[in-house]
Amino acid sequence: MKRWHGWVTPTWSLLLAVLLLGPALGSGYLLTYDMVWVPDLAMRPDFWGLGSGLPRAVPSDAVVAVVDEVVPGWLLQKAVLLASLVVGGLGAARWLPPESLSGRLVAVSIYQWNPLVTERLAIGHWPVLVGYAVLPWLALAARRWRRDGGGLPLLLVLVPLGSLSVSAGLATALTLLAFGWRGRSRGDAALGGLLVAGNAPWLVTGLLHTGDATTDRAGAALFALSGSGALPAPLAALGLGGSWNAEVVLPSREGPLSWVALGLVTAAVWGGWRAWSASADRRDLVAFGLCWTFGLGAALLTWAAPDLVAWAGATLPGAGVLRDGARSLVLCAPLLAVLAGHGAAEAVRRLPGDGAPRLVAAGVLVVLPVTVLPDAAWGLGGRLRPADFPADYVAAQESVATAVADGQKGDVLLLPLASYRQPEWNHHRKVLDPLGRFLSPDFVASDELVVSGVAVAGEDPRVARVAAGLALPDAAARARALAAEGIGLVVVDETAPGSSPLPAGRTLLDAGELRVLALDGVRERRIPTGWYAAAVLAWAAYGGALAGGLVSAGLARRRRRAAPASRGTGL
Amino acid sequence: MGSILSTFGSLVVGGIVATATIVGVVSSQTSPSGDSPANVNQPVIEYGTSD
Repeated sequence: MKRWHGWVTPTWSLLLAVLLLGPALGSGYLLTYDMVWVPDLAMRPDFWGLGSGLPRAVPSDAVVAVVDEVVPGWLLQKAVLLASLVVGGLGAARWLPPESLSGRLVAVSIYQWNPLVTERLAIGHWPVLVGYAVLPWLALAARRWRRDGGGLPLLLVLVPLGSLSVSAGLATALTLLAFGWRGRSRGDAALGGLLVAGNAPWLVTGLLHTGDATTDRAGAALFALSGSGALPAPLAALGLGGSWNAEVVLPSREGPLSWVALGLVTAAVWGGWRAWSASADRRDLVAFGLCWTFGLGAALLTWAAPDLVAWAGATLPGAGVLRDGARSLVLCAPLLAVLAGHGAAEAVRRLPGDGAPRLVAAGVLVVLPVTVLPDAAWGLGGRLRPADFPADYVAAQESVATAVADGQKGDVLLLPLASYRQPEWNHHRKVLDPLGRFLSPDFVASDELVVSGVAVAGEDPRVARVAAGLALPDAAARARALAAEGIGLVVVDETAPGSSPLPAGRTLLDAGELRVLALDGVRERRIPTGWYAAAVLAWAAYGGALAGGLVSAGLARRRRRAAPASRGTGL
Repeated sequence: MGSILSTFGSLVVGGIVATATIVGVVSSQTSPSGDSPANVNQPVIEYGTSD
């Protein structure tokens, strides 16, 4: 293998990632649907999972709040997005032999440039993308663990990192078990312990909310796997597409290019299977197959049996996590990329001669994922444009901080009581109301989702009680009801659609776009001591695994570097 | 003769794919992006649109 070969794959991966993100890497904050990043995310009890609602952003919010003490929020966001793509692509490439440059490059292209990545990016599911980037590396590390018991430091880092959200944690868990299970009690117990530690924050704090962990039946049909244009849902899923939200699906997925893409994927996978299956480790094939089957099966279930998914979500606590069908396709991507890489390498190898035909064929195969999804380029065709928070946000932040410093008690309520905003300053792009994360205290915001005119009820009982309080006929009664719910500050976005029946309170700020009101007689929300104890244990397990992994990986690296020198001195 | 033909063929295929890729990428940048425009009169901002 030529020395420069080692640089080609990372360079291609970085180039693709930059081409995909484009303007998102520019100045400002990328705010799109569920992706909310702010300059300095302040830590608060909700981020530990101690809020009144389900811990949906646990542990991702807490991890960001800790890390952005060192790295500014804007820089951290870009680093996370860029690294998610590059690390994932390089991980997929690692499953192909180093001498198979064309195969590695195709694996990178497939893993980084596909509908799953573009749709999750557009809808802002960045913890899913981080988990997605972790999967191929996790599979490699778990395989090593299975074979010789090595790779534990890497697993200790990868499992917590790949479990930044519930769905990412489940994909991580399945991949770890599929590739790492040895069938021997001690090793498998260690694996199980690692799984529990890596997922402990959302698992434990989720159990604290078991009574409210069921979901509205209406969501199952709305969030189910969906077809893309003329492609029916099952075929869309085979090519890693099928998001429920038509707004995040690129136009090229709705035309003939989606059929071309499906044909190419099928050919590549078929070729890859024929080229690789004979020489591959049987156990790896089983692990890949298990992940692929489970990922596709979970996605198809939401499409084929939405009533069953609705029943499960409404009856079994936590089962609602399965309702976004296309999200589970992350489990299918590693096998797809690895097979496509092997298929491409075999196709190039079979060409006569070793000059221009092979070079051109390799180039064509590497670029084809871009050819069939061209509008993903440059920030999904300009959809991913960062924005700067307006001055009113800073004024509201200062107003709230001053009030809290002066002894104002209670949490913040965001009005109008609606989940999403589409502010002019964000280029009219939809985003989960970013105001709560911009401020420092815990906040209460709507958790109701409206999709195609259908309202999907949230799970947080506190939001329902706050809404009932806001519906009272006079402002003084509204203020008393909110104060009894632990609301001390109300921040009103005057630019957002929807009515805001205001409570009686002291106006702290009236900045045009935002108003801040303070309420008196606040009865602070009490968090049971047992919840604190449970959360401390969960976070200790999570942080311990991560810190232990980082330290032991650092020590192992140091030992490896020192080893040749020791040999050289005869020690 | 065979190698000349395969070289020529590969260059033609490569050229077609390269052209299609560049044209696709460039035209997707010049056409308006397809997400829903803001409507200040709607009572609530929807999370999305399901088919």
